[in-house]
Amino acid sequence: MSEKLTSKQMSKKITDEYMDEAFHAHENGKLIGYSTAISPVELFVAHDIIPIYPENHAVANLTAKKGAELCSVVEGMGYTSHLCAYARSDLAYRKTGITVTKGIPEPDLFLACNAQCFTLTKWFQVLARKGNLPVFVFDTPEYVMDKKTREEIVKYCVLQLKELIGFLEEVTKRKFDYDRLKEVMKLSAESSILYRKFLDMAQYKPSPISIFDALIGMAIAVYRRGTQECVDYYQTLCDEIQAKVDQGIGVLPKEKEKYRLYWENLPVWFKFSDHAKLLGSYGGVILTSLYVHAWSFEFNLDKDPLVTLAENYVSRFSNSTIEDRADMAAELFKKYSMNGMIMFMNRSCKAVSFAVPTLKEILTKRTGIPALVFESDMGDQRFYSETQIRTRIEAYFETLDRLQFEDTQ
Amino acid sequence: MWDNLTIREAVEYAKDPYPSIRKWIKDKGKKVVGSTFADVPEEVIYAFGFLPVTIMGTNKPLKKAPSHLPDNACSLARSNLELVLSYEGDLFDGFVLPQVCDTTQHLSDIWRINFPDKYVESYLAPRQADRPSARYWVKEEITRVISSLSDWSGRKIADKDLWEAIEVHNENKNLLKEIYEIKKKNPSSLTNKELFALMKLSQQVDKAELNQSLKKIKESLRYEQNDEYTNVILVGITCDPPEIYDLFDESKLNIVGDTLLVGTRYIQGIVPTNGNPVDALTERHFRRGFFSPIHDNVYKNFEEVKTLYKETKAKAIIYVHIEFCESQEYDLPDLKRMIRDEGILMHTLDTEYQTLSLSHVRTRLQAFFESLKGGSL
Ligand code: SF4
Ligand code: SF4
Repeated sequence: MSEKLTSKQMSKKITDEYMDEAFHAHENGKLIGYSTAISPVELFVAHDIIPIYPENHAVANLTAKKGAELCSVVEGMGYTSHLCAYARSDLAYRKTGITVTKGIPEPDLFLACNAQCFTLTKWFQVLARKGNLPVFVFDTPEYVMDKKTREEIVKYCVLQLKELIGFLEEVTKRKFDYDRLKEVMKLSAESSILYRKFLDMAQYKPSPISIFDALIGMAIAVYRRGTQECVDYYQTLCDEIQAKVDQGIGVLPKEKEKYRLYWENLPVWFKFSDHAKLLGSYGGVILTSLYVHAWSFEFNLDKDPLVTLAENYVSRFSNSTIEDRADMAAELFKKYSMNGMIMFMNRSCKAVSFAVPTLKEILTKRTGIPALVFESDMGDQRFYSETQIRTRIEAYFETLDRLQFEDTQ
Repeated sequence: MWDNLTIREAVEYAKDPYPSIRKWIKDKGKKVVGSTFADVPEEVIYAFGFLPVTIMGTNKPLKKAPSHLPDNACSLARSNLELVLSYEGDLFDGFVLPQVCDTTQHLSDIWRINFPDKYVESYLAPRQADRPSARYWVKEEITRVISSLSDWSGRKIADKDLWEAIEVHNENKNLLKEIYEIKKKNPSSLTNKELFALMKLSQQVDKAELNQSLKKIKESLRYEQNDEYTNVILVGITCDPPEIYDLFDESKLNIVGDTLLVGTRYIQGIVPTNGNPVDALTERHFRRGFFSPIHDNVYKNFEEVKTLYKETKAKAIIYVHIEFCESQEYDLPDLKRMIRDEGILMHTLDTEYQTLSLSHVRTRLQAFFESLKGGSL
């Protein structure tokens, strides 16, 4: 009997096999569908289309500090410097082939869901124009607060999912199998529960995971949900973290964990480990963000699969009203006992960032916790000012220290 | 107040309509409902007896908006927010705000939170337009806005109210269309600035009144052929500040076609008058031309522009880019390429709502215009 793999080994194996399958898709009669990270990919999986996420590939390049180089190339192609760095680096990759991975296979079709942003739709359209390929826009209107309106929004989305199925049937010339969709949904629901369980382990004190672990652990939920291996991976991951909890192992030792922080927005990918170290030196651990929670779906398997898919995808944090988003974040503050927050104004991501100033106002008012707001770019180093951000972080921790000191007086 | 304007007065009012709106609502005792671009069905607001006003930025300084929207937000969104936060907010009783792009995704939330005492409703326009569900959705949204306005005002409207509103709006668009047609063939009959001032004012003041002025203005136009002019097409969302049109006028450029929201795309919003009014308003949504930032097909944009260019025998295309409008920016490189491949001359004009000095734009535009006139085209 072979030895049980660790979650890290499993992640590598799943990713390698997935990419290998993707690169040989056409030989096996399969198609490659480019997808936005938040999109009802269960339909792709059920229809045997291999989903590829240009965002993930972009993350690899941006984390490896290729951002400035790639983004400069795209400016020479006539695009402006303030578009999303994922899109910019991807368009530059198409032109130059520069990548720190093996790259990604070329698409046959596109699924763009704007619950995340409208940028992806525009970006996919640019790619589709090059190859004259079909794009399906799954349009998710902002999930406004009124209950009746929400019902209407879900209805509109269900109609579109039916259209999406028609689109897939047309492109592949194959009939869609609803029974298969049910199986995929079951696996997706299972892995989503486990993924959330993993994220929620940040509740423990000291927290066994930081947001950086969550970000690494998130990848499989993004590109492999709806598969058995995804379920197995999160089961293993949860078991491993539970073992740490049982032994009292935290990201920081219990006595050092002073600040349990919330992070708003995507990470600054090329500062990933620097930020973890820097914050750690002040006794700070970033526990979570709404961003990592975006893939903890709550599918209701008793409902029509298309309805529960629509309900889940339309209600992601990025597609919710600012007030709802504040509620979701406030809930996390309570659940994870957080006492600090870092709000990143990400020049790249207007869809998420333009809500940040208002969100910060609401959250500081509701929680009484001061916030650190800083502006930069998630992938383009040219917009990152090292000294300025370091000074802001230092000043922020001084404020927190002072407040804690006053509290204990 | 707006029923007996000369063209000159119309240009003045269009530059800053708010003092006149303020006075008018005081006299009439009406409420004002503002909206931003695009596609909010004004007729519905009008049918309730409110004055629908499209908010189109300000060139006054930004004071409050930057703390809500960073500097890489599009100039129009920041300018609109500034206008209501610092300058004209008191004028509006409520807003119906559309969602069209990433920038506008949370804008109605931001407005709602900043104006807790006002009525704020969203209008969730579909961002795909070619499938049957889009039609279903537009109808739902129009119906929802009607019921929301009804809840707010405590009033119900009948089909008759909607048809009356549609009639006034259609008349406005027909008049503008006629004036535009005259100008196309007789460029000296009115300036570009005057034409687009009428388009703008029409979206901000009471149309029943303005229509009276438009009729008289139309009658007064001189029908004179003038060969000194060069025909061009204007492509984009809006073209502000209005002094940009002076540059066209000074160089004797005749705008003979456009895809602007404060232009042809507004006129294209004539509502069919059969069936029931909500269906008719829905149908209108899909009859309008392509709206680049939100729709899903740049080829359509290109085809539309190309057809316009050919039909009008224009000499060039001027593309108006609003600073930081990323929706335009994703399309622009390909659009430029497609247009260039057709052998059509194109110039991109970067506009910014808080621009006070046009010297930079002037130099570039004039150089382009000169090459256009001196060239072998
Ligand atoms: S970073 Fe933001 S703008 Fe870019 S793809 Fe992701 S959600 Fe869209
Ligand atoms: S479409 Fe462009 S101009 Fe209009 S609000 Fe969006 S970003 Fe601004």
